[in-house]
Amino acid sequence: MSISEYMKQEHRECDTIFAKAEEAVANKEWATANDTFLEFANETLRHFKKEEEELFPAFEKQTGMQQGPTQVMRYEHEQVRGLIGKMAEALENEDRDAYLSLAESMMILLQQHNMKEEQMLYAMCDRTLPPELREETIKAMEQVAL
Amino acid sequence: MFSQNGLSLDQAPPISVVFRFFALGALFGLLGGGLVFYYQSAIFDAASPAALTLTHTFTLGIMLSFMFAALFQMLPVIAGVKLTAPVSTANFLLYPFAAGVLLLLAAFNMPQQSWLFGAASLLLVPSLLWITLLMLSKLVRLRDHSSSSKGMLIALLALGIVLILAFYMTLSLTGYLEGSYYPEVRTAHYSMGLFGWIALLIISISFQVIEMFYVTPPYPKLVRRYLPLTLFGLLFVTTVAAFWLPQLWVLSHILTALLLVGYAVLTLRRLSQRKRPIADATVWFWRLGLSMLLLAMTTLVVYKLTGTALFGNLAEILYPAFALSIVFAMFYKIIPFLTWFHLNAQGYFAAPMMHEVIHPKTAMKHLYIHLTTVVTFLLALFFAPLLFISALLTILSFGWMLWQIVHAWRLYRHTQKTGEKFEMNIA
Repeated sequence: MSISEYMKQEHRECDTIFAKAEEAVANKEWATANDTFLEFANETLRHFKKEEEELFPAFEKQTGMQQGPTQVMRYEHEQVRGLIGKMAEALENEDRDAYLSLAESMMILLQQHNMKEEQMLYAMCDRTLPPELREETIKAMEQVAL
Repeated sequence: MFSQNGLSLDQAPPISVVFRFFALGALFGLLGGGLVFYYQSAIFDAASPAALTLTHTFTLGIMLSFMFAALFQMLPVIAGVKLTAPVSTANFLLYPFAAGVLLLLAAFNMPQQSWLFGAASLLLVPSLLWITLLMLSKLVRLRDHSSSSKGMLIALLALGIVLILAFYMTLSLTGYLEGSYYPEVRTAHYSMGLFGWIALLIISISFQVIEMFYVTPPYPKLVRRYLPLTLFGLLFVTTVAAFWLPQLWVLSHILTALLLVGYAVLTLRRLSQRKRPIADATVWFWRLGLSMLLLAMTTLVVYKLTGTALFGNLAEILYPAFALSIVFAMFYKIIPFLTWFHLNAQGYFAAPMMHEVIHPKTAMKHLYIHLTTVVTFLLALFFAPLLFISALLTILSFGWMLWQIVHAWRLYRHTQKTGEKFEMNIA
């Protein structure tokens, strides 16, 4: 399996959970919304952790690019983390409008970020990491827990 | 590198670049509304200066401005293409472009002043060819292509061809060229422009946007890989072959229409399969646009087969309605997002949320205005005085849009002036 395939799959899974949480909020089913949003937040943060602790260091070590695309991605992860916090707050206040508005920003922010990763970074990883290191990195990422 | 502007802005153009192109497009839209008032039903005669002027107000003034706004924004994201000095690049394009369009529109109305065509060409051709080549050169050098970036590349190639063909025509009209191939070039020019550039760019962007923003299943690989190339190939081959066999365009237009019908049906289906539950205005703009495309292409085929002028006119109204609907769909995502995104990245606590920049209800109201505008244009084919209302609604529609841009810009500046800021000192 390539890095691209593995990571893309995770992006899509997060999108699906995100959509479920959004639907629950839209219908004001707050209990379901809480559970699904928590699942979305956990999966997203775990995905970020996989990248920041395994994939990015492997890429940086292989290419020597410390200040390159991985730094941009780390910064964008911070932006997403900030928004997750704000969405959790809206959820706690059962503020439907605020949640949906934040969700709209989150979706575009995440998708812009995902596009950059899928279009560029993952492809670069697949190209630069030797096959055995690629396998190793994927295995290591599978072990990452929150 | 870790400036307060934020790293992720490294690849995003300044907000003013995107705003100014959207604003220019909206201004040309207002002009378009005014022209409908002025020309009345003369616009339905495709060969008249009225129709030529209105068509170019739409394709050049409105659509090209919007598409450059989208390209400046999306090239870095979709294709990782970074334009150096985007503000000066945008200005180098914007001013000659705006002046050139106005001169060209004037030229259509004063055929005896043929120098106007020359002057318009001098402003339009170099500036547009330059930006097209600049974007193309960045895309060609890309190592990792997606179906979107490939499609954009092909669409820009089509734009380059459209421009060269246009240059041939203006040189003929000013008398520098004999213009023996004028009719063939004219057909190739508008076919390549409407389908190779406008439709192809929308298709390429949709490959990415539909799946990601609305969480739908992806487009089939076959479609992503071959549709842009097939469409362009068809138009390109016909452009060349039609110099010997001009009737070939009939077949080519029918095939193009069928391809676009397939695309419209597929995309409508994808939208119905979306996992995000809320059908906001942008979803409806997409649905409306795609339905218009479906109808435009159906009426085009009927026109090509029967020669009934009414169907030709219907297609001429429905096709711009399609393109504009998609532009509005993108507009209502891009403007609120950019306003929030740039302020947030600059560290403002009070960065307004997307719905505070443009409320979903405001976007829905525009949808109704837009839909009513299209309907009145269609009805005006049967009852010409209705064009008076179409013109008013066109002005209202673009005025609405312009107001959203002004409002977002003011909110942006206001937050920058008064907002409390989180200073990042990571460096």
